[in-house]
Amino acid sequence: MVNAASGWRQGDHAAAEPVRRQDAPAEGAVPRRWKFSELLAEPAVGERWEKVRRYFFLRESTYDMTNRCNIRCDGCYYYEGAKQFACENDDPEAWRGLMRQEKSRGITYVVLAGAEPSLVPELLAVCFAEMPLGCIATNGVRRIADAVGYRLHISVWGNDATSFRVRKARGMLGRQIENYRGDPRAVFVYTFTRENIGEAAAVVGTLADADCRVTFNVFSAPVGYSGPLRHDAASLLRTREVMGEMRERYPRHVLFSPYNVVAHTHGRGLHDLFGCSYPRRNASTAIGLGRSFRQFRADLTWDRDAACCVPDTDCADCRHYAAGSAVVTARLYRHVTDPLSFKAWLDYVDTYLAVWVMGYEPGEALCPELIDPPEGRGSGT
Amino acid sequence: MPESKEARELVLRIAEIIIGELKLEEITPETFDPDMDLVDELGVDSMDLATVALVLQDEYGVFIDEDDYPTLKTVRLIAEYLSAKMAAGKNA
Repeated sequence: MVNAASGWRQGDHAAAEPVRRQDAPAEGAVPRRWKFSELLAEPAVGERWEKVRRYFFLRESTYDMTNRCNIRCDGCYYYEGAKQFACENDDPEAWRGLMRQEKSRGITYVVLAGAEPSLVPELLAVCFAEMPLGCIATNGVRRIADAVGYRLHISVWGNDATSFRVRKARGMLGRQIENYRGDPRAVFVYTFTRENIGEAAAVVGTLADADCRVTFNVFSAPVGYSGPLRHDAASLLRTREVMGEMRERYPRHVLFSPYNVVAHTHGRGLHDLFGCSYPRRNASTAIGLGRSFRQFRADLTWDRDAACCVPDTDCADCRHYAAGSAVVTARLYRHVTDPLSFKAWLDYVDTYLAVWVMGYEPGEALCPELIDPPEGRGSGT
Repeated sequence: MPESKEARELVLRIAEIIIGELKLEEITPETFDPDMDLVDELGVDSMDLATVALVLQDEYGVFIDEDDYPTLKTVRLIAEYLSAKMAAGKNA
């Protein structure tokens, strides 16, 4: 049965299946093979391609800044696995040296994360001075100085009652808004868990009323986690519907394309759909993330076997927004099969850039339909 | 063995496409070292290589498998790869 509101079929594997596309070839017909130049010939598509390709120079790595946090959340990625036990290096000159080394090996974009970067403002200033493009993942409780001109991702896990229960912090949303209302660096990241789907409308509404921009994350269980936040097929379907509603209701404030909705609420996780290209799942060091990506711990060491954007996530359950930003984007080749797939990919990349790069403004979605991701898995490059 | 005229032309055309797609400055197809490592020496990354591969695919009408990208490390290797693909296509 097709859900008229969301365009998705319902059933046992509801979360996995978008509806059949209007442009799909008739059964038995040989699908047309499109030339890349033909796909680019449509002016809006060619224009968007030129807009996004200017950012192909971005090469990311991620860095845990400290092993401290001012709140403690259920299902936190940082406090899983070995990385939480790394001795933090709080020497600004050591960080300056690391940033210079990173630059010399071609890194152009840094993601400063675990456990709570706002607790080490001096290190943030050093990183920004050395590497001007990047993002800080923060809980938003403590304001990061304006001089640090990185994109800021402020994590939101539901309404205040839920935040108190899951994050043990009172009045989270109000404090986050107070700190970052009208701040062009800020993008609030609403993480859909199995439990907070029904709260999203009110929270996103509050953020939009405060003129704060929002993107979406989907809770991806840490290895071994089987608690109540973990999604199932029904919760993914409901998440997808709510994401669609939020897109329609707050188009100026929600940074999430229809293809983002598909990729992040699909019954199959990102690795299964696209083939994760982070070193943890990709042995190749020839080119791409497998070659350049490192995930540094707070002691400035890194481990290839653990290196991905959200270490200690169960890869089979990974629908994390940061993972998708790299994994879906890297799969250009898979999406040049037909105009709609390519448009959907361009929308995804446009969203990724708007969420991660200061000053990048997204365009209108080129593919408003919810379409299937391409078949097959990647080699990991 | 000396390089044939066709092989030289293919190398020059691939270099021209790379220069155009990656917007390289101060280099011409003639001065482009066909044995330069595109990743190590030129700093080409996966998205750049995918773009170049798609343009080459259009121009030469061959299918370049995503899994083969890591082997396309120099202009000469790309030329050899394309030549083999085109020859296989003619013989098919």
